[in-house]
Amino acid sequence: MSHQNHPELAEAFNKDFERTTWHDETLWFVRQKRDKAVYPIPEFQDLRTLASEIKDHTLSNLDNYLIEFEQNAIKNGVKVHWAADAVEHNQIVMEIIKNSCKVEGRNPRLVKSKSMLTEECHLNDFLEKNNIDVVDTDLGERIVQFRNEPPSHIVLPAIHLKKEDVGETFYEHLGTAKGEKDPQILTEAARQHLRGKFVAADVALTGVNFAIAETGSFVVCTNEGNADLGVNLAKVHIACMGIEKIIPDLHHLSVYTRLLARSATGQPVTTYTSHFTKPVEGKEMHIVIVDNGRTQQLGREDFRSSLKCIRCGACMNTCPVYRRSGGHSYDFTVPGPIGAILSPNIDLHKHKSLPFASTLCGSCSDVCPVKIDIHVQLYKWRQIVGQANELPAAKKWAMKGMAKVLSMPKVYDLSGKLARGALRILPHGLTHNESMNPWAKARELPDAPKQSFKEWYEENRQ
Amino acid sequence: MTSREKILASIASNKPSLVTMPNVPIFEGDGSVERFKNVLESIGGTAVELTTKAECQEAIDKYYHDLVNVASDIVKANVSINLDTNKDILEQVDLAVIQGEIGVAENGTIWVPESNMLNRALPFITQHLVLVLDKHNIVANMQQAYDKLEGVGNYGVFIAGPSKTADIEQSLVIGAHGARSMMVLIY
Amino acid sequence: MLNTVGVFIRVKLPKLIFRPLELKNMKVALFIPCYVDQFYPNVGVATLQLLEKLGVEVTFPMKQTCCGQPMANGGCEQDSKGVYEHFVDIFADFDYIVTPSGSCTYHIKKHYDIIEQTPAVQKIRKSVYELIDFIENVLKIEEIPVDFPHKVGLHLSCHGQRGLRQANASEITGVRDGQISKLLRKLKGIELTELDRNDECCGFGGMFCVTEEAVSARMGQDRISDHLRNGTKVLTGGDVSCLMHLEGIVKRQNAPIKVMHIAEILNGNQP
Ligand code: SF4
Repeated sequence: MSHQNHPELAEAFNKDFERTTWHDETLWFVRQKRDKAVYPIPEFQDLRTLASEIKDHTLSNLDNYLIEFEQNAIKNGVKVHWAADAVEHNQIVMEIIKNSCKVEGRNPRLVKSKSMLTEECHLNDFLEKNNIDVVDTDLGERIVQFRNEPPSHIVLPAIHLKKEDVGETFYEHLGTAKGEKDPQILTEAARQHLRGKFVAADVALTGVNFAIAETGSFVVCTNEGNADLGVNLAKVHIACMGIEKIIPDLHHLSVYTRLLARSATGQPVTTYTSHFTKPVEGKEMHIVIVDNGRTQQLGREDFRSSLKCIRCGACMNTCPVYRRSGGHSYDFTVPGPIGAILSPNIDLHKHKSLPFASTLCGSCSDVCPVKIDIHVQLYKWRQIVGQANELPAAKKWAMKGMAKVLSMPKVYDLSGKLARGALRILPHGLTHNESMNPWAKARELPDAPKQSFKEWYEENRQ
Repeated sequence: MTSREKILASIASNKPSLVTMPNVPIFEGDGSVERFKNVLESIGGTAVELTTKAECQEAIDKYYHDLVNVASDIVKANVSINLDTNKDILEQVDLAVIQGEIGVAENGTIWVPESNMLNRALPFITQHLVLVLDKHNIVANMQQAYDKLEGVGNYGVFIAGPSKTADIEQSLVIGAHGARSMMVLIY
Repeated sequence: MLNTVGVFIRVKLPKLIFRPLELKNMKVALFIPCYVDQFYPNVGVATLQLLEKLGVEVTFPMKQTCCGQPMANGGCEQDSKGVYEHFVDIFADFDYIVTPSGSCTYHIKKHYDIIEQTPAVQKIRKSVYELIDFIENVLKIEEIPVDFPHKVGLHLSCHGQRGLRQANASEITGVRDGQISKLLRKLKGIELTELDRNDECCGFGGMFCVTEEAVSARMGQDRISDHLRNGTKVLTGGDVSCLMHLEGIVKRQNAPIKVMHIAEILNGNQP
């Protein structure tokens, strides 16, 4: 399958002008809610610094914290599993499900709350192929699951869809009235439908927002209550976490719980901040700790701080490119600015266009609650793409040529003069030919002056 | 090598040299009942101030007289819920009235430990939720809350208002999967 | 910026006699970025004239070309080394290097870390200044006596704003303030546009403007709509690159907005 790069997918997205406006404004609205929630907290910037430094410390001692976490979790009666990659992760999850629920005559039933890690591992597909029924229970995730699409945002999975689209999907899958698009009514339909799934589930799977080394607990944050409802009704709870989710203790947790929801949606805190430590008697709790490229990223000095991400999605909401190209244009589990610095670690060739899907405006770094220097890392990934010979040939040679010219003042002066001369003489239709000059699709070129500044200076000042 | 060993070894060789842990202060802040109430209402909850805890029954009778199946160890209940209650019964609960331990003024959230829940599923499966809170247990922010908690027990949840979602076009809808409404009785 | 035909109107302004003590005997160089030199010479002229009016003796080294940013942002930092070294050769002898571009300033300060950090390189990374930063923080000038009775929309270029911290960022505070708006606000007769989105990127982004043409153009169009909606008549900013992109859109749309670089306004040019 030929793979489309970001500019192509973004261009396709922009074909619908009105919808792009709507997408941009909807996400900007979330960014504004975030601002309103952040400005009144006097120590918000201090909290960002702390959150960043706690993670720096934790990453520098990650193996020991993981060991401490594991020991405490085991003491709590939790089963801890380790997965080196996505394949192993999926295998482990499947085996837990198959071993724990020997059901006769039907497939085991799994309800899932949001977990970007399982998206990253493409768990749903794998389980379904292995005869396990999987239901995503977060409303947004359920919507995209019905539609057989990946989420387009890590916090707002269905943000690319309008209520009419959701209405159509629910008409098809849940039997709501044709043309019904009232979010209240659609949400109620999903509530009724999913209550049935919660009650019927054998196993519940959740992600992990934070894992606490000191207590062996893990924390899951939701607004809908789907994680707790699923877990507390099912016999088995599986929690999947990347190795980077660890923080040392509860005192540190408080820094993150003050930052996460304000940054993500502008709420003061998520509705439910749930701390799981021990399973109820007679039930099972499993934790799957996953690497899948993370230790490699840890070893990349310039990029390791991307592991500090708490998946709040603020860098997406603020990104002027993301808002105008949509999550699917990134073609990676985590879209937006953070996705653009995580993805090249996974597959440089496939995702080589992502570090360039940015103006390097730096808004992402300023909004990030853990102060990841995202735009600096984008710049650095660009250099790696360049070094790895992954730039389009025309661009590469243009750059090399430009660099030569710009290091030789005489050649520079002359080529500037020639270019300006050409621009003045050539007809508008040619200089603004869209296929030769993408600039000109929506923009005029600057007028080419007769004199450069240098020439003027020679004439007037020397 | 097991995956565990592989991962730990890879971390050990890839991690940077030890970065010192910052000193995380406990920030001061406004922990007033007023602020708690304002924030709670801004996130879709309702706050009612009582003079004594004994008035809870009266408040429930007043605000929830139309609800049939009530589960509680604080007010009169007509469904009895415990650790072993099965799903069919839990599903029938209209109202749960349970004790909250610590309220946080900055974000309107309340700590509910497992020991207060009757059953872990109850605060989520009930159609409506009432938490009862001693106003002396309201603190300013999460740091103060965790400081006061001294551990999170086997299972515990900070609950902030009713269940909600904005997954359809960012329109806020109250009552996603969990409680459709949430009231805090402060005494 | 439209008037680029090589005719430069000398505006008569009371010459500001101003020469801070510590600037005596200081060697100040003017760096005019490559695209300004070629396409917006009048911005270079305005910058030079403005500095002269402010009492600064400026030298313009004739062999200068570019800071190397276009290639580096395109992923070819290694190829730019020659350009970096050339820049250092040209400017090593000066105490201050002033340029009407936040973006080039940021690039030199931030990204000249891949060449050997000789004393000359270290010095250059410290002594390069964006024009307005230089005026306010080196010359310590807080007000420039110019009449500008127009409704002005300020485009904050990201590299100046977030890169050099020349203006507050809305991610961090709700207070909208910065070096350029401080000076602008004091011009006689001026009214500043209150934008819906005060500091959203215009979408220029160097090579981004052609490699991601669709998003780039859309970002620029949205900036222009914001200015039009809120009454901007003159659009200004500290970076010619952003302004070139925005002006391209203004001209294509025939929008009633005149684009001027901040140096032109402070130099007393009128739209
Ligand atoms: S990179 Fe920062 S802003 Fe982006 S999702 Fe992660 S934590 Fe949030």
